[in-house]
Amino acid sequence: MTMLYLRDRWFEDLPVGEFHVFGSHTFSELEIVEFAQTFDPRPQSIDPDEARSNHRQGLIASPWLVTATWMRKMVDYMEVYAQGVNDGRRNGAGVAITDLQWLEPVRPGHTLTYTYEIIDKPDHVIREKWGLIRSRNEAFNQYGNKVMQFEIDILAERCPA
Amino acid sequence: MPLSSELITLDKTAIVTFASQFDPQPYHLDKEAAEQSIFGGLCASGWHIAALATRLVNETLIENGLPFIELVSVGQLKWIRPTFVDEQISVRITLTDIPHGSPIAETYVQAFDVEVCNGDGAVVATMSATAAIAQDSAGSVTS
Repeated sequence: MTMLYLRDRWFEDLPVGEFHVFGSHTFSELEIVEFAQTFDPRPQSIDPDEARSNHRQGLIASPWLVTATWMRKMVDYMEVYAQGVNDGRRNGAGVAITDLQWLEPVRPGHTLTYTYEIIDKPDHVIREKWGLIRSRNEAFNQYGNKVMQFEIDILAERCPA
Repeated sequence: MPLSSELITLDKTAIVTFASQFDPQPYHLDKEAAEQSIFGGLCASGWHIAALATRLVNETLIENGLPFIELVSVGQLKWIRPTFVDEQISVRITLTDIPHGSPIAETYVQAFDVEVCNGDGAVVATMSATAAIAQDSAGSVTS
């Protein structure tokens, strides 16, 4: 399987069905609390003692921390294979996501593994230059349970005619 | 009537701090690179906007008697235009569905649509989502 990734290839060269296990991450209590202090600042999210009696019986990662970590792992993975083309021009920005679900709580010490599969190339040209790559993305915890899923449309540059 | 939040400002430090941790791409980190990019200027990560919008939804629902507990799902999220340094965002929330049962104890699920607007009132993102709301409040809806 080729190890080249999105930024090294044109839209035309990205095949439906391509699948990557692209990263994993273990969530610490500190990063869960720090994220919540900015984005989810309630005692049950930022105070481990308070959280013991909450609806989730303990601290859990904010949903967007789980998803933002997907982005970080994806960027890291792309950097490895991008071979210097990440200059901000030929670069796939996200356009829209659908069916984002957080299926199980992510707690301090949990390790998630993130996967990506190209599922469609919608017939849609944007500003004459970009095509859309639709992928299904999932995260699994250390027990093998799926904890997050979503689909995202990302811009990919079309090969100049 | 939609429920409206306060406005919050996204300064360069906030944009770069988030992007450094979660979305370290040139158009979220570096002014010159961003000017050459598809966005045309240094702008916030779309995930930063999503997380901030959710905080505003959280606070606004609580202020309106709906004790927000946790975001459950996002049926659709569209990023419509970039949010540049020192722009403001706020949310407008429209409750969209009959509340129904939740996987989280002592909560119900409420669906809603969110428009994320900048300081000029232009929509920068839209989101259709559901959240778990605590049942143990005055005026809560149970099902």
